[in-house]
Amino acid sequence: MKRWRIPAAFAVVAAALLFVLFKGFGRDPHEVPFMLKGSPAPAFVLKPLGGGQDVKLSDLQGRPMVLNFWASWCGPCKYEHPVLEWGAREMGSQAVFMGVVFEDTEDNALDFLRRMGASFPQLMDERSRMAVDYGVAGVPETYFIDAQGTIRGKHVGPIDPQTLAARVKELSQPAPASTAEAARQR
Amino acid sequence: MNAVLVSLTLALSLATGQFAPQQAASDPLAPAREARVQVLAKKLRCAVCQGLSVADSPSSMARAQLDKVRELVSAGKTDEEIVDYFVARYGEWVLLEPRAEGFNWFVWLGPVVLVLGGLFVILRQRQPLPEGAVATEAAAAPSPSSPPAPSTDDADPYLQAVRRELER
Repeated sequence: MKRWRIPAAFAVVAAALLFVLFKGFGRDPHEVPFMLKGSPAPAFVLKPLGGGQDVKLSDLQGRPMVLNFWASWCGPCKYEHPVLEWGAREMGSQAVFMGVVFEDTEDNALDFLRRMGASFPQLMDERSRMAVDYGVAGVPETYFIDAQGTIRGKHVGPIDPQTLAARVKELSQPAPASTAEAARQR
Repeated sequence: MNAVLVSLTLALSLATGQFAPQQAASDPLAPAREARVQVLAKKLRCAVCQGLSVADSPSSMARAQLDKVRELVSAGKTDEEIVDYFVARYGEWVLLEPRAEGFNWFVWLGPVVLVLGGLFVILRQRQPLPEGAVATEAAAAPSPSSPPAPSTDDADPYLQAVRRELER
């Protein structure tokens, strides 16, 4: 009778271990979770790059917004910049394109834009206050905020034209009603 | 060769400014509050590092996160509210020590259960020695370097059984 107990105990321990490993290996360890999807975009007041009047989130609301965090020292941002330039030109009527300079000096950022093109306005995020508020985990990252000021999601890493076009198109469609909201409306 | 290439690449990337310019951290708060800031920063994971806390990482993002902790502490937020602020953005991933609740109990109690289970198995395996064996063991124990004690083969029931098998 007792003989099967030890193998059974080992089987239970092995199954538990497998479960933990499966959970651990099932996700990319470099991926930082993003929890702000579906919540209102945190407010910000930032100086535009190159000087001018402060820009507030509330000034921009009412239109969908594409918010790109970048830095001149970031390699992938260089590959990504032409895509955003194209996006701002082609889809500027559908969404406000806005860049946020992350952990960089104003001179470096201006130099980068002189070389790469500056089709959309840029903000200076002094001391990365806004980046922490928005849950940024590196650059480049692109946030998609709808006209109601809700974060629909973010794209981590350099964005490609197809994804950018698809995400901007999604912004003009009504948000997929969450189950709680759907239940309330019924 | 590879080392030379890596050094050259690093030197080149430094020369062309491919690094985040350092910014000074915000000023420390009064000692009592700053101690709280440091304790909290030790618990929070830096968003751009691999398993370093906000307090330990030299990265610019960690500095920005530390600034935020200071800001929230000066605003009179409780420790729980500050931790919740970061969890609301980065999820429980941001906590270097998982919260002791729900599925996380598995992580906390798993090792203890394994050690207890191992102890149980060891104790079960150590069956009490027969009385005769205890006596001979006690006699042999004091001088382990001395030549082996006179053979007790005749007393050993197993050896007797083996002999009987061989003689058959």
